[in-house]
Amino acid sequence: MPLKNSIKIMPGAMICNDCYLRGDITIGKNTIIHPHASIIAEAGPIIIGENNLIEEQCVIINRLPAGEHPISTPVLIIGDSNVFEVDCRSEAMKIGEDNVLESKSFVGRGVELTDGCIVGAGCRLTYPEIIPEKTVIFGSNCSRRQQSERPPPQTSQLDFLSKVLPHYHQLKKNKHEVKNIIS
Amino acid sequence: MELQDIFYNKVEYVETASGNKVSRQTVLCGSQNIVLSGKVIVQSDAIIRGDLANVRAGRHCIISKRAVIRPPFKKFSKGVAFFPLHMGDHVFVGENSVVNAAVVGSYVYIGKNCVIGRRCVLKDCCVIEDNTVLPPETVVPSFTRYASSPGVCIGELPECTQDLMLEFTRSYYQHFLPAK
Repeated sequence: MPLKNSIKIMPGAMICNDCYLRGDITIGKNTIIHPHASIIAEAGPIIIGENNLIEEQCVIINRLPAGEHPISTPVLIIGDSNVFEVDCRSEAMKIGEDNVLESKSFVGRGVELTDGCIVGAGCRLTYPEIIPEKTVIFGSNCSRRQQSERPPPQTSQLDFLSKVLPHYHQLKKNKHEVKNIIS
Repeated sequence: MELQDIFYNKVEYVETASGNKVSRQTVLCGSQNIVLSGKVIVQSDAIIRGDLANVRAGRHCIISKRAVIRPPFKKFSKGVAFFPLHMGDHVFVGENSVVNAAVVGSYVYIGKNCVIGRRCVLKDCCVIEDNTVLPPETVVPSFTRYASSPGVCIGELPECTQDLMLEFTRSYYQHFLPAK
C-alpha cells in the first residue's frame, strides 16, 4: 500500500531536507531533525512534541507486527525534550518527556517510556513493559537503576544547532503553516 | 597474509589528486570544514559532520560503510560548543561505528558497531574491538585493547602495533581497486 505523505511542521522546527519522512507526521515547535534520520508512519500517524533532538541515522517507526490487524489506527506519540542519538531505533508507541535514547539503542514496540529515562548506548528493550520514571538502562546486560534527577534539557545544544544548521543544510519548509495563515 | 582485493564501482567513487577515494553515497556535511590529508578511503553511506566543527583525518585513514564521524559537544556555563575532531594517520574505523571522540591518535583500529562516546581521547596505537561502547570522556592509553560495554581494557598490544597498522592500512589502500 503506498503511503500518503502529510507532514505538518510547526514554526521553529528544523527539518533537514535529506531526511526520510513517510506518512502522516506532525513535528512540534523547535524540534531539530538532522540529515539522514528516518521517521516512518506506516501503520498510523506519528506525533512528535517540542524541543526534541533527532540525530542522523535514527529510525522512528510506527509499524504493525506482521499479521496483526488492530481495530483502530495506532498513533505513535513522542512528548517534549527527548533526545534520539545517532543510529537509535524506536518503535515505542508512547514516549514521555526528557528521555534520552543513546547511540545504537533499540526500543521495541510494546515498551512505553515515561519521563526522564535514559536508554544507554547499545541497549535493547524488547519486552513489552512500562519503564518507570528516571530509569537508567546501561551496559551490556541492560542493568537498571533509578536516578534522582531527570537528565538536563538540551536547550543550549538546540539553540546552537538552530543557528548553525541553516548555514549548511536545506531545510524543509512548513508549507502547511503558510496555508493556514492565508485561509 | 596478503589482503584480498576489494573491488568498487568506478562510477561510485571520486578519486582526488592527493589519492583520497570518496564514495558519492557518503554524506559530507559542511565539506569546507573537512580535511582528508591523502589516501583516505571513505566508503558508501558514511557520514562526516563537518558542519558542527572541523574534522581532520590524517593519511591512509579508512572510514567504512555507515560509519559516523561526528565532532563532540560540551556544555559550558554559557552555551555549548562543538569541538574539532582530529584523527591521526593510519586509522581504521569499522562499519556502523559512531565516533564522537575529541582526538583519535595514529595507528588506531576501531572495530564494527562501536560507539565512541563524547570527547573520548584515543591515544596512538590502540585497538577498540567490535561492539564496544566507550563511555563519554574515556581516555584510551597507547598499546591497549578495549572491548565490551561499557568498554574496559582487556589486554595489551605488542610493540610492533605501529608497523602492523601501517602495513594494514597501506595494503587496504593498495587492494581497494576499481572493478574492471
